[in-house]
Amino acid sequence: MTGERPVGSSGGAPGDAPEDISVGSGADRPRGADAQRLARVRRFVRTRRGGVATGLVVALLAGGLGTWATDTWPFDGRDQYCWGAWEQDSGPGILGDEGFDGDDGRSRTSTGDAPTPGAPRGECRLTVSSSHTYGDGDTERQHTTVRVRYGPAPEPAAKRVAWLGGYLADRAMPLPGGLPGAADGHHGILVLPERCDTRDGRPTAVTLDAHEEVDADDRVPESPDLGGSQAVAELLVAAANKGMKAVGCADGEPLRVRSAVPELPERAETFSRGPVCRIPGLDVSADLTKETAMRLVYQVGAVDQDLQSCSARIGRSLRLGEREDQPLFDAVMVRQPRLTALLDGATGTRAPAKGWRGTGVFGSDQRLVRAGCAGRPTAFLLLGTPTGATSDYFATFTNAVARRLGCAPVAPATDAEGSRR
Amino acid sequence: MSDAEKDVEKKDVEKAAKDVEKKDVEEGAQKGVEEGAEKDVEKAEGAAEGAGGAGSAADGAGPAKGQDAPGPAGPDGDASPAPDAKPLGVLAAAIAAAPPPWWHWRSLRRLTRGHRRRAVAAALAGALLGGTVVAWQAEAGPFERERACWGALNEDDVADLFHGKRDIEYSQLDIGYDRISSDGPSGRCELRSPRGHRVRAQLHRLDTRFGGARDVWADEYLSARMTPLGGGLLGMVSDTRAWLAVPEGCIGRASERDGPLVVDMEAGWTVYDDEVDPDERARLARAVVKLVNHYMDDQGCDSELTDPTDRLAAPARFSDEKRDAVCGIKGLRLPGSDESSRYDRPLVSRSGGPVRTCDRDVMFGHPRLRLMTVENPRLADLFHGLSFEGARRITAVGDTKDATRGRGFLREDMALYQASCQTGDVTFLIRSDDGDRAADIRRLMPRYVAAEADRIGCGPLRLRLPA
Repeated sequence: MTGERPVGSSGGAPGDAPEDISVGSGADRPRGADAQRLARVRRFVRTRRGGVATGLVVALLAGGLGTWATDTWPFDGRDQYCWGAWEQDSGPGILGDEGFDGDDGRSRTSTGDAPTPGAPRGECRLTVSSSHTYGDGDTERQHTTVRVRYGPAPEPAAKRVAWLGGYLADRAMPLPGGLPGAADGHHGILVLPERCDTRDGRPTAVTLDAHEEVDADDRVPESPDLGGSQAVAELLVAAANKGMKAVGCADGEPLRVRSAVPELPERAETFSRGPVCRIPGLDVSADLTKETAMRLVYQVGAVDQDLQSCSARIGRSLRLGEREDQPLFDAVMVRQPRLTALLDGATGTRAPAKGWRGTGVFGSDQRLVRAGCAGRPTAFLLLGTPTGATSDYFATFTNAVARRLGCAPVAPATDAEGSRR
Repeated sequence: MSDAEKDVEKKDVEKAAKDVEKKDVEEGAQKGVEEGAEKDVEKAEGAAEGAGGAGSAADGAGPAKGQDAPGPAGPDGDASPAPDAKPLGVLAAAIAAAPPPWWHWRSLRRLTRGHRRRAVAAALAGALLGGTVVAWQAEAGPFERERACWGALNEDDVADLFHGKRDIEYSQLDIGYDRISSDGPSGRCELRSPRGHRVRAQLHRLDTRFGGARDVWADEYLSARMTPLGGGLLGMVSDTRAWLAVPEGCIGRASERDGPLVVDMEAGWTVYDDEVDPDERARLARAVVKLVNHYMDDQGCDSELTDPTDRLAAPARFSDEKRDAVCGIKGLRLPGSDESSRYDRPLVSRSGGPVRTCDRDVMFGHPRLRLMTVENPRLADLFHGLSFEGARRITAVGDTKDATRGRGFLREDMALYQASCQTGDVTFLIRSDDGDRAADIRRLMPRYVAAEADRIGCGPLRLRLPA
């Protein structure tokens, strides 16, 4: 660290030039002239210019050693990816050696265009591949793709709800240090500050989706390992900072992951007897056959003042040759101001149905309502099956969460169970 | 050798020429170099500059222009180094003060030509100085400073804990695992001043098993004197105790029913139960965050926790409670509480923390009567095993054979219920020092749980006590 400034401040001059010259110079001269020359140099060194020059040689050497010892510029030679937002070995696992599963054929490349002031949308795809050959000759290939996107939320309301819900549901946890966004181990979203909003007022967001290519002989698809939620948060922030700079809406202080992700989501509950996600009255198994009810899996995501999610699905049955879980629904409550701003204009102007508070839109496979709750606009959304045969999942979820937050019911009381609890 | 030198120069110039992509530039530059090499120091300045301008390809300035414009003006203003606060800043400042063109590599070369000994000496001096500075910066070798408590606290940090005193000794058990690593990592450290002041720090996984130290730990570290560290952290601090869980984003989530991995600190006792010294509290808060940051760093986690001292809330003070609002909970009445001595006043922890504790009559850190709600599910795990104990079970209204709201028990000295809430398990407990208050506990429990469950969004919760 110490040496960075003197070397760096030599500006355009190549850092190695002075060293090359000073070490390799002056050799093989006639000996007779030595004394005279020495005197001349002594004289030179005594002049101000000479003294400073000698000092500079020493400083450059020291600086060079310093930068070398601390493994910084110009001795690092690290690769950069995705508009220069990400750098090799900069922290997140996928950018380091541990990003490779196998030892052979390692490659890490990226393609894509950075956003520009004229077109503030950018996209980049980082591809990490390697292979590993086992002792019995089996070869396992790794092909991880990380796709990062910079731009405003999708315009069509229905698309936007599905888009946002996808990033907030399941195992996503809020980003640390008050950053408006959420992430899990392989995807995440970060909403940029207001100064980056589009002209029509839609917030700009950076999203990240990682994907692991499925080998034909894999029984179940593998999920990509980028280094955990912490790594995803850092990748998002790095891409956001670079994107904002490229577009010209960066402020002096870049965004930063100020602390470690404090809590991770709990394990998915596969053997449950009570209500789904511990939400009173959210009884899903009553709507399923006995056989299917046994395979009901739910995942409690974040549960705090700004974000809550509950995802229910039917676990895959390998016996039946199913490779993926069958989703039932993802229910989300969000009231982080920047995240709810993403839904501006998507909720319509009227109550979604009779008896509901606030504004919203009900579709066949998604529901959205936004209402004031304990002093803050709060959005509830559900993707997937909104109602079972015996109860309205969305209404039950909405009212239970509203009650937890200490605010009036948003949905009309639908059944005895929901209103009693 | 002089041929070799020329080669070096030629290479540089060629490189530059590639950038500029002009053939005539290459020729001109080469000419400039050759000329400059022959001339005296002063006279050659202009030519040297010209060659240098091309050599460094600073902005594609042609050599012809350079030759025409000699003088002290630098190639570009942006090349002048800025002063630096670091040790080398002195040199950098001197460099900045000099007239710009001198630094050019051409003049440097001229400077050392023919003085191999001097060049070697300068190189050696540079190397030595560089190495020394690096060692000094990295606090390695002869510059290594002693760092207490697993290397986490430097001399200043320790002095901060002991009011600026620097004669502090320490001993420690390094962080390590037991043989089958069933207890998780653990380590201890103790700092002592010659005047008898002691501060202990410990890294350990909170013990959730039967017979563990959970009661003692909970008494001291979840007391109403503690203030939450805030900022999403799971940790609390007072002027004598501090604890902080290592964030899960760094070490991963503990496996089911394992307690969180925490660093806790104890710095003695105080008899002033409701007066928490904010300065002492800030010292412990800083120290516990440093210890956790150091552990996370060891685990390869980049992100540091920030200093929490600015966001700490004011410590709790004894509150004058109304007769029908025990511990500030409306509608909660304590039978026969007419004798209201000073020591019977409750200390209720501030809201927003992982626990809400109401202690009264605290003796050496142990309350005679405590009403506590452990809201954080990771901490509530401490009481998970306990919730299955006791023969006289507490049930809740609405429990069915398949699904219950939770479980708990009633004892002479304690009532405990662990409920399954949307946020996870939440523990409600009332305990006293002895069995004298069995009737109070029995009377308080249902109302306390009902009120607290409503407050934290887990209501309605109506308990049924055993006969």
